[in-house]
Amino acid sequence: MRFYKALVAVALGAVMTATGAIAETPKNTLVIADAIDDVITLDPGEVSEVAGVLVSQQLYQPLVTFDINDPTKIVGVLAKSWEVSADGKTFTFKMNRDAKFSSGNPVTAYDAEFSLQRPLLMDTRISFILKTLGLSKENAKDNIKATDDDTLVLTVGDTYAPSFVLYVLSSYTGGIVDSKLVKEHEVDGDFGNAWLKTANSAGSGPYVLTKWDPKQSILLSKNPNYWGTAPGVERLFFQHMPESATERLALEKGDIDVANKLSPDDFDAIANNKDITVQQGTDTTIYYFGLNLRNENLKNPKVVEAIKYLVDYKGIADTIGRGTLKVHQTMIPEGFLGGNSGYEPYKFDLEKAKALLAESGVKLPFTLATVVWNVPPYTEYSQAIQATLAQAGINLDLQVVDGQQWLDRYRSHDLDIWMGLWGPDYPDPNSNAETFTVNKPGDPEKSSTLADRFGWNSGALSDQVLAAVKEQDTAKREQMYFDAAKAQADASPFVYMFQGARKVATRANVKGLVLGYTYSDDRYGGVSKE
Amino acid sequence: MNRTLRLFTNVGTWLITVAITLLGLAALTFFIGRVVPIDPVIAIVGEKASQSVYDRVYLELGLDKPLWMQFWEYVTKLLRGDFGTSYSTSRPVLQDLLDYFPATLELSTLGLFIGVVLGVPMGVASAYWHEKWPDHLMRIVGLIGYSVPIFWLALVALFVFYRQLGWVSGPGQVDVFFTGIVTHVTGSILIDSAMQGHWDVFWNAVSHMILPALLLGYYSLAYISRMTRSVMLDQLSREYVLTARLKGASEFRAVAGHALRNAAIPLVTVIALSYGGLLEGSVLVETIFSWPGIGNYIYSSLFAADMNAVLGGTLLVGVVFVFLNMLSDVLYRLLDPRSRELSR
Repeated sequence: MRFYKALVAVALGAVMTATGAIAETPKNTLVIADAIDDVITLDPGEVSEVAGVLVSQQLYQPLVTFDINDPTKIVGVLAKSWEVSADGKTFTFKMNRDAKFSSGNPVTAYDAEFSLQRPLLMDTRISFILKTLGLSKENAKDNIKATDDDTLVLTVGDTYAPSFVLYVLSSYTGGIVDSKLVKEHEVDGDFGNAWLKTANSAGSGPYVLTKWDPKQSILLSKNPNYWGTAPGVERLFFQHMPESATERLALEKGDIDVANKLSPDDFDAIANNKDITVQQGTDTTIYYFGLNLRNENLKNPKVVEAIKYLVDYKGIADTIGRGTLKVHQTMIPEGFLGGNSGYEPYKFDLEKAKALLAESGVKLPFTLATVVWNVPPYTEYSQAIQATLAQAGINLDLQVVDGQQWLDRYRSHDLDIWMGLWGPDYPDPNSNAETFTVNKPGDPEKSSTLADRFGWNSGALSDQVLAAVKEQDTAKREQMYFDAAKAQADASPFVYMFQGARKVATRANVKGLVLGYTYSDDRYGGVSKE
Repeated sequence: MNRTLRLFTNVGTWLITVAITLLGLAALTFFIGRVVPIDPVIAIVGEKASQSVYDRVYLELGLDKPLWMQFWEYVTKLLRGDFGTSYSTSRPVLQDLLDYFPATLELSTLGLFIGVVLGVPMGVASAYWHEKWPDHLMRIVGLIGYSVPIFWLALVALFVFYRQLGWVSGPGQVDVFFTGIVTHVTGSILIDSAMQGHWDVFWNAVSHMILPALLLGYYSLAYISRMTRSVMLDQLSREYVLTARLKGASEFRAVAGHALRNAAIPLVTVIALSYGGLLEGSVLVETIFSWPGIGNYIYSSLFAADMNAVLGGTLLVGVVFVFLNMLSDVLYRLLDPRSRELSR
């Protein structure tokens, strides 16, 4: 019997070695493992999924962008220069005439006009970003206008801070498409959407779209007509690999070059591997939880304040986040204008919280319905928060639900606590300040800002934030956000806990990957393999 | 004449049963999909879109119509062969299914093959040496396959055979080197690459497939061997086996020729059900091995509230089960002379 077993083992081994693997990726291709099953479109006029934006950022370029090392500096990409009128409402962009599309067509102001009008005229889901500038489907044709090949005139709805307008244009909505090429493929007035959605690209970025297999892989190739410095690899291959442990094994083995979805456990496991480099990046996601002030107990400001002292911020960041979360306690993320205030007044302090609860006069214990997304780190830190709140007599009834339901629950107002996150839509503090602070009394649904959603009347703070978005002087504007963010952190029903800290693991021979300010903003244009 | 008529009636009854089954399945999936607390419009437009965008998509999806009318429209389209479009892939659902199902089909078929080739002899041996050491050994092997979570086994297997030993290729269907070389004809990477003479791709695909197939094989082996054992135990205690032995038949003949032949009839159902289970696609195995199969397709569509894709996938699984049932009916008739007599 032993003989047979040995025989079987040898036979199995022989079969397996005969079919052995090539454990290295092609030299001219960068293989990126990521979860890409959320990608439903690559048209820059409508794309908004994390991985979708990441891919489309490699294909398209905006008029302006911010300096990755100093996000307060705005630099031109497809626009060479710009001027703002005295009333602050008219922006005149001069185009960069060196820029070319992958088709070889030069980039003109007419392309910018067409591309910025597209989301508004098509009324796509990301049109809300341009709408914050007072643009709309009705005024798009008048307010976004090319006067000649060189000049684009943009008229915004109000006297906004120039930095605000430019940051909005630097976002993923601002990607410029080749209008000549796209118009050739227009069907039934769809602005070329069907053509751009899944199978083609028409941008000026370092790569072009070669093939997208939904939920499997996305292949980009070098743009033959790229007007900047050509990338060091011929192809980017995004491979769908949603499982963190699998990604880690493949990275260790050398079958992938970049692992985008590793969990803290897997980062621990590769910490001493010399073949792997871990890059530390910023992430502007804010992890918070909102207290619904429609609840009788939460209505009491002392209770809200007490809860802010009942979260073990540092403990959670150290034990659960392990390098992926850092404590951050204002509404504006570090890196943005007004985000570097260093304001961190809250820490776990049971005695103080108990005193505040006693002062408040509410009857303890009480229970709060808490809605949590069923993925880490939310599930993990919600339990930690549940434990510390219970020590003071506040019980959390954790309702762990899937992502869609989690969003649905927060649209309705029938919950007490929502464990949430906020990722800015454009790299300007207003994206956060507005939603967390501004009240929109005219809104019948009470759902267009988070402040309204959680039943908070922010009073004078609302006006302060609205004034900041119009401040013409950038230094003054920054100070206004510092002040508003501090006051807001104390007064609001939002418990800001963490800002994401991002790590990306690559093979050690991968050079030149620049991490952006969100997952979607990483720049693969200068990447090469040694 | 009478026989032909009866045949027609039989086929007719069968077709009606199948049609009702599939319609019921479609209705159930459709209505469950509409009552789950997921807003399909939000899933498409995202949380932050403005009301006008929401309304536009709401109308595009036809959600303003009454439920029964939505279902009626779905069914009439279905009868014309139109499964609708998946919004997450922007392709016709039918095309998606033709893309994802073959990957599951070849993996499951290989898995089932392993499960049957190893599982049935194991079950027979187990029953033959009842309560002796081979029986205990097989039962332990079976129990582990049945009770250890498959995702854990999959990760351990990847770690050992891929990461440490390097005997097999890792996640995915083929290496990046070989991606996009083979033209999509049948959708099965093994058949397509062999037909087109890309033997390097073929062997690479084999080395990618062997581990998940072995895992699925082990999983179905566990079930098949246990069922074989219990059926065989029953058969071996029957008097006809004793008769055969008394008449001087060899042990092999008594067990394989007589008992196993009779055991084969219930086993057909067991194997068909295992196959059906595998063809639904194993979400866990597919996720860990980044396998572009139907399980993952339905799963991710469900979480994205992409109901056309979910309905299409569910109907496909339904058709697979109907087909397997039909197949096992046919096999019954071949294996069991009595049922042939009855139908005559």
